[in-house]
Amino acid sequence: MITYIIRRLLLVPFLLFGVTVLIFAMLQLLTPVERASLYTRDLPKNEKALEGFIKIYGLDRPLYEQYWRWLVGVRDPQTGERRGGILFGDFGWSRTGSQPVAQLIAQRFPNTVDLTLWAVAPVILVGIWLGVQAAVHHNGWIDQAGRIFSIIGTSFPTFVFGLLVLMAFYAKLGWFPPGRVSDWANAVINSPSFHPYTRLLTIDALLNGRLDVFLDALRHMFLPILTLSYINWATFLRVTRSSMLETLRQEYVTTARAKGLPERDVIYKHARPNAMIPVVTLAGFSVVGLLGGVVITETVFNYPGIGSAAAAAASQLDVVTTLGFALFNGFILIVANLVVDVLYAYIDPRVRLS
Amino acid sequence: MRKIFFILSTLVVLSMILSACAPQTPTAAPVTQAPATQAPATEAPTQEPTPAGFKSKDPTTLVVAVFGEPETLDPALAYETAGGEIIQNVYEPLIFYKGDQPGEFVPMLAESWTISEDGTTYTFKIRKGVKFHEGGDLTPEDVAYTFQRGLLFGGTAGPQWLLAEPFFGTGIDDISLLVDPEGNLYDDREGIKAADPEKLKAACQKVKDAIVADNDNWTVTMKLAQPWGPFLATIAQTWGSVMDKEWVIEHGGWDGSCDTWQNYYAIPSEEDPFTPIANGTGPFKLDHWTQGQEIVLVRNENYWREPAKLQRVVIKKVDEWGTRFAMLQAGDADFVAVPPENRPQVDEMVGERCEFDLQANTYKPCVETDPNKPLRLYVGQPGVTRTDIFLNFNIAETSNYVGSGKLDGNGIPRDFFSDVHIRKAFAYCFDWDTYIEDVFRGEAVQSPVIPLVGMPGYEPDAPKYSFDKAKCEQEFKLADLDKDGIPAGEDPEGDVWTTGFRLQALYNQGNTTRQTISEILASNINSVNDKFIIETVGLPWPAFLRTIRNKEAPYFVSGWQEDIHDPHNWYVPYLIGTYAGRQNLPSDLKAQFKELINKGVAETDPAKRHEIYKQLNALFYENVPTILLAVATSHAYEPRYVEGVIRNPLFPGFYYYTISKK
Repeated sequence: MITYIIRRLLLVPFLLFGVTVLIFAMLQLLTPVERASLYTRDLPKNEKALEGFIKIYGLDRPLYEQYWRWLVGVRDPQTGERRGGILFGDFGWSRTGSQPVAQLIAQRFPNTVDLTLWAVAPVILVGIWLGVQAAVHHNGWIDQAGRIFSIIGTSFPTFVFGLLVLMAFYAKLGWFPPGRVSDWANAVINSPSFHPYTRLLTIDALLNGRLDVFLDALRHMFLPILTLSYINWATFLRVTRSSMLETLRQEYVTTARAKGLPERDVIYKHARPNAMIPVVTLAGFSVVGLLGGVVITETVFNYPGIGSAAAAAASQLDVVTTLGFALFNGFILIVANLVVDVLYAYIDPRVRLS
Repeated sequence: MRKIFFILSTLVVLSMILSACAPQTPTAAPVTQAPATQAPATEAPTQEPTPAGFKSKDPTTLVVAVFGEPETLDPALAYETAGGEIIQNVYEPLIFYKGDQPGEFVPMLAESWTISEDGTTYTFKIRKGVKFHEGGDLTPEDVAYTFQRGLLFGGTAGPQWLLAEPFFGTGIDDISLLVDPEGNLYDDREGIKAADPEKLKAACQKVKDAIVADNDNWTVTMKLAQPWGPFLATIAQTWGSVMDKEWVIEHGGWDGSCDTWQNYYAIPSEEDPFTPIANGTGPFKLDHWTQGQEIVLVRNENYWREPAKLQRVVIKKVDEWGTRFAMLQAGDADFVAVPPENRPQVDEMVGERCEFDLQANTYKPCVETDPNKPLRLYVGQPGVTRTDIFLNFNIAETSNYVGSGKLDGNGIPRDFFSDVHIRKAFAYCFDWDTYIEDVFRGEAVQSPVIPLVGMPGYEPDAPKYSFDKAKCEQEFKLADLDKDGIPAGEDPEGDVWTTGFRLQALYNQGNTTRQTISEILASNINSVNDKFIIETVGLPWPAFLRTIRNKEAPYFVSGWQEDIHDPHNWYVPYLIGTYAGRQNLPSDLKAQFKELINKGVAETDPAKRHEIYKQLNALFYENVPTILLAVATSHAYEPRYVEGVIRNPLFPGFYYYTISKK
């Protein structure tokens, strides 16, 4: 088990290196002027500005030199100071974020983690519960309703659902606003008396004893989580339901019933844990997806997570930021997938012992 | 286990519902928003445009939802509107605009000024008793330092070229030209550090000699290289904002010495220490800038005039239109950015209409159209940007957009647009009415000449091209592309009229305005003669930029936004500068343009300038190197509880000092 984990972890830097080379190689298909176009939004007022960009960012240097420069940075000939370099933690400057890319990620990722934290229970647990109920009351009204519900959910575009709930619950009723926190809560958070222990707003609010800030943050997260839930319940319901149905047909379930165990024990102690195996995989991927940043939901609700930052960067051709996010996301995905695989092995003895 | 899951999930859901009941603000209950539909129509006297019923949620704070972000807050470098807006509210220049007039100026940090007889020397008397936000005092030394620093900062990405020309002479648009007149050092930070130290010192000294502070008389004197009509207009903009010398040096800026200025040349925004911070004399201070999310300004209580009415201004970055609209409806945002295609949605909320008076150059009093609707609409003020069609006189050999490259019916020769009749034909074949209707819903005005309304050089009745298919056909027949001396309509050996041609017209993908323009022109020309084939092609942004830069496009659609409200800022890029270069204008034509442009800029009397520019307009009309299209007029919304917004087309954003909310 341990060797399995270590082997997987050792692969990580090679995988990341491969990703970056690929992205860089694609960039090299562009000419220096085209690469300079990524630094300006429209035809520059001064024609010489394009040459300026090429000079300042070294866009006409050969591929390996640019890659090396990106990897380890440049040394200022006069002061000897090193500037830049991924290996030194400098991911470059984000044009769309108006700050260093590393700082942008550090600023936005905790918000995404916070959202994921509070989305796990409603999205996954409720989804699973719905699926189990649908399977247990097979062909009953709960099952039928559930299946219709899931079809609507999967076919509803996130964007449309998000705007609908925004109109209903915010524009009309004013209950759940978009964004991260209200202005007054923001002032509290930025004040010197508020200590950012974890940088996760909800946890920090509780640790600082500010229940009002905690509730305000939750209030702003309600609509994004509602949107994420509705879209994902469908999938969880279906997978759990079919897995559960199949498990309930197994011989050991019949045996358990024949032994005279209460129905509740049969379902929840014997059948459900085994039905969970494919669901855990799905749940793992869902969490990984959430951690990667849910672009559309974050954009619609103006939630400052890494999804909306990456989307803004990509749409404005901010290559440096996109590269940084690709690296970061790649890292998160690889590690999270590893965790899921380990959990999977832990839950299913058959995998562990093979 | 099941029980625990159930309880957990219920708790989470419950806590969220509970949180909705949490107080929205801990302060005393603010006034409620006016009901949009419930109240019956009250008797609103027609004289009073704003009924007292419209109230905001929080009159002390103004919230603006936009989709852009500043690139930098350094006044010497900022050259876009998002950063410009913050700078205009936090910093101050020596002179400022008079209300909503783009061409009239009033004292700001300069109490008064005099201009010498020959127009080259400006002496500004600096105001006393003004403090910077961080506590420093405003002195003439700060003013002189600010302008010197800007010129030495240079670079082509920023606005310093507008100041370089008046101080160094026409054609000299960057400090690096004083070190290397060949122009090899533009934006070359390493190159300039390695340049001859004597030349570097000399360039710096030239700057210091031109801008001198006098601490005894409390004045600053600026000596220009020649008389410069637009000088005042230039320094009223954000790049004329005064910074505190001690503060700048403390935070890593140029120390004022002629031995070190080369280390501070052309710094990009990401390395500029003044990108994220600001310390000005203005009515608002920068409270914080959370990049990618919001900028908050707070009132400067020690302002040298009456403090602002608003206590706070929150500028939120909200990329999604639907979300901005929801915020507007909920009353959580006072101003939101409205893309033109979404105007019909917002028009339904308009209850008051204010129209622009072109003669008086200001808005007429507002008229109520519906007492219950919450927004006020401003229409009709000409903007300061225009998109035009630029014809390429000499298309590059590497172009893929000229078909066969020959006059054989399947392409165009590379000097296609060198023939004035071809250019005139294309001009007569553009349909301005359809363009204005389709793209602007009728809210635009055709430009007869290059400069804008209200400037020297603007002639509303100047001869202009209009949509006339007959004339378009006639001009094609007058063209002589095979250069045999016989016009195409009569040429027995065939010319463009009988042979036809084929070319591709380019626009950048996603820009629907430029696409529409290309399509209007193409469809009209294609209909004049079925042997004329123009295909419109949308290119991805990097490819479009490369194509324009390499002069491979037969013609391209692009725009210009003015930096200062002066004809010089329009004629230069169009006729001798950036666009002239991209269009490969013949040098003799450029020389003719240049002569008139230089005369015009050196003249300080507006009436005399107008006469000079009239000649320039005539020359332009005869040669039509560019097809001038239309300037959009305003269509701006504000809540009816807001007052005091100055709608000056030259402002990069809102000027918050005069704004108040009920």
